[in-house]
Amino acid sequence: MSVDSAPGVPELDQGTVDEMVEAEREDPEETLADVEFSTELGLSMAEDAKRVSKGKISSETFWAKYDEAAEREFGENYRNTPNPAVDKDDHCQTIDEPTADQLACSVDSMDSVAEQIESPLEDGDATWGMVIDLQKCVGCDSCTVACKSENRTPPGVTYNVVMEEEHGEFPNTTRTNVPRPCMQCENPSCVQVCPVSATYKMENGIVNIDYDRCIGCRYCMIACPYGARYLDFGDDYGEEVIGDGEITSPEYGVDRGKREDGKSPQANARKCSFCYHRLGRGEEPACVETCIGDARNFGDLDDPESEVSQMADSTRAMQLKEHTGNDPNVYYLK
Amino acid sequence: MATATNLPKFNPGFEDNRVRMLWYAILAVTLLVGAYATYRRIVGGMATTNLTSTTPWGAWVAFYIYFIGLSAGAFLVSTLANVFEMEGMEKIDRDALFAAIIAMVVAMLFVWIDLGRMERMYFPFVWRQLTSALAWEVHAYVAYIGILTAELYFSMRADLVRVANQRSGFRARIAGLLTLGRTDLSDQTVSADRTWLKRIGILGIPLAIFFVHGGTGILFAGVKARAYWNSGLFPVIFVISALLSGTALVMAVYVLRRKLFEAKPVDLDLLDRLGQLLLAFVLVDAAFTAIEALIGVMSLEGAHLTAWMTIALGKMAWSFWGVMVGLGWVLPALLTSRRSWRRRPMMMVIAGLSVVVGVVAVRFNIVVPPLVNPVMAGLPAGDYLPTFTEWATSFGIVAVGLLIYTLGAEILPLTPLTEDEH
Repeated sequence: MSVDSAPGVPELDQGTVDEMVEAEREDPEETLADVEFSTELGLSMAEDAKRVSKGKISSETFWAKYDEAAEREFGENYRNTPNPAVDKDDHCQTIDEPTADQLACSVDSMDSVAEQIESPLEDGDATWGMVIDLQKCVGCDSCTVACKSENRTPPGVTYNVVMEEEHGEFPNTTRTNVPRPCMQCENPSCVQVCPVSATYKMENGIVNIDYDRCIGCRYCMIACPYGARYLDFGDDYGEEVIGDGEITSPEYGVDRGKREDGKSPQANARKCSFCYHRLGRGEEPACVETCIGDARNFGDLDDPESEVSQMADSTRAMQLKEHTGNDPNVYYLK
Repeated sequence: MATATNLPKFNPGFEDNRVRMLWYAILAVTLLVGAYATYRRIVGGMATTNLTSTTPWGAWVAFYIYFIGLSAGAFLVSTLANVFEMEGMEKIDRDALFAAIIAMVVAMLFVWIDLGRMERMYFPFVWRQLTSALAWEVHAYVAYIGILTAELYFSMRADLVRVANQRSGFRARIAGLLTLGRTDLSDQTVSADRTWLKRIGILGIPLAIFFVHGGTGILFAGVKARAYWNSGLFPVIFVISALLSGTALVMAVYVLRRKLFEAKPVDLDLLDRLGQLLLAFVLVDAAFTAIEALIGVMSLEGAHLTAWMTIALGKMAWSFWGVMVGLGWVLPALLTSRRSWRRRPMMMVIAGLSVVVGVVAVRFNIVVPPLVNPVMAGLPAGDYLPTFTEWATSFGIVAVGLLIYTLGAEILPLTPLTEDEH
């Protein structure tokens, strides 16, 4: 492997590189010695696992040899931890299903096993909502940046912005920062005006855009009282970022691959989706996760016990432009 | 009734061949530039416009509603002849209908070029949204074009038959095709034509007022996010300014076609009547716009005030005072104010064209001002002027309309052949 062409990397021969890697590599024995569990068992399981993967011994033999020993070592946790390494697909399967049952492991593809793990963001009946505490927002714009990098939005498309309002006259001034994602309204104006039903409200309260149906008439952008919609003019960051557009965000759960000229979502209306693609894997929207002041809260507005629904009911709670009757699912705490 | 012996001279082409060459040369150049601009727009996408996410609609939408208005207005003028049977109006019936059809074609081209994804233009007919004014509108436009075409057919059929029977050559063949095989010239069939003309016209009036143009007004007025549009009077003003521009267009077209294509004297009584109509529409349009402005400004509500401040004092205020008020209202009102002036054809052409240009500014001042002021205080303001591509495509599309009109005027019997007998 040649390393001399990489900019900023000193010229080294392969031997030196190997030595450096060897020096950095952790010694498995040392690592295992640091934890409270048996080093000996760990090493011999690892060695035999290598043999299983090379096909020298069967996985049944492996588990027959180690199952009891592992249970003794790890106690209750051993049985309660799902084993994503057990894959349903014949090609990758390391144990058969009866064996898995016997071991009380989950048998499924890795994705499905991960999805079976209970998550607070995976209630099928949820109506997603956001509560933003204006007293906690410092106006750092990190939500805007996180949103751009998560959703890989092109220039001119900014699902989230922080509107800075100044009140009063010097020296008696105050400043309020109002972050503005899509409000995911209960009565969305954009849905009402779309001539092709390309934008619609999903059961979880999120307003979806079907990029394959949107004709780019921009009526929704005219109708949105919050200016939350943007037209994708087809620009890119190609001049600033190497590899720009190679990967796109799987918005609304649809992976569209590489960003290409003339391909949707170019010339379509775009907006914040509450990071719908993250919710499915149990993650909060990027802006919520990144917020440095914990000003953003996300959860199920239908669940009276949830933090967001309690905050949305508080006397400090308000919505933007309440008079429009759009009834946003984004609330603000004054 | 016209027979082979008394068929009047039918030679509808340009009288002066030099005028014809000059006119087609202008159209050809405009079409070429427009074609180049359209190519750039298709390849470069929406980035070739000065539109932004703050100002998502601009010149193309302004021209779209402008031509919808011209069409609705011209059609309503035609109903004065074939529904309300006003004396002398039948002479401009076909002018009005033909102009109305072409204005619709032009308007549809503007809708098409304005779509971000032009290749999906048929989607509104596949997937609908009952609550969307735009979804209703596109269907109304199709029905309306059908009504206009049927109207023109029934108005012109008998003359098409006469041309096909008594002439030979290209025009006669086209006329023969356009009769759709109904070649009977008996009194009974001709009067059936007239009955259907009236029936379809009656059907077309509510379609034009409530759906086509009123509906286009509702498309804007129904948007609560833009206070400037969001009023009940707004669609009414749409219809009145449509009547204004339609009357002006028909008046100008009547005189010009009469002079340039037929070299026949203009019917001065008819011109006088059209001039009076135009004056009435100017006054009503100005009054309603003033009421609308007053109500908005008196609300002291931010979005209303900023929109009207942008219109009256902003950097495009010249288009309001100079073009919309000056050319659209003041000049035509002056020119049509005296009976003797209303009987001077070229003066009425100037009044008509002045309104036709002035109403362009009306449409721009409907679309753009509320879109340069952001919907929320913290969002960026817009600053919109069309790009070369937007202007050139617009002129190209207008030239398409003018070309179709000219070809039609050269070929079709737009003036009733039997008019001299009335």
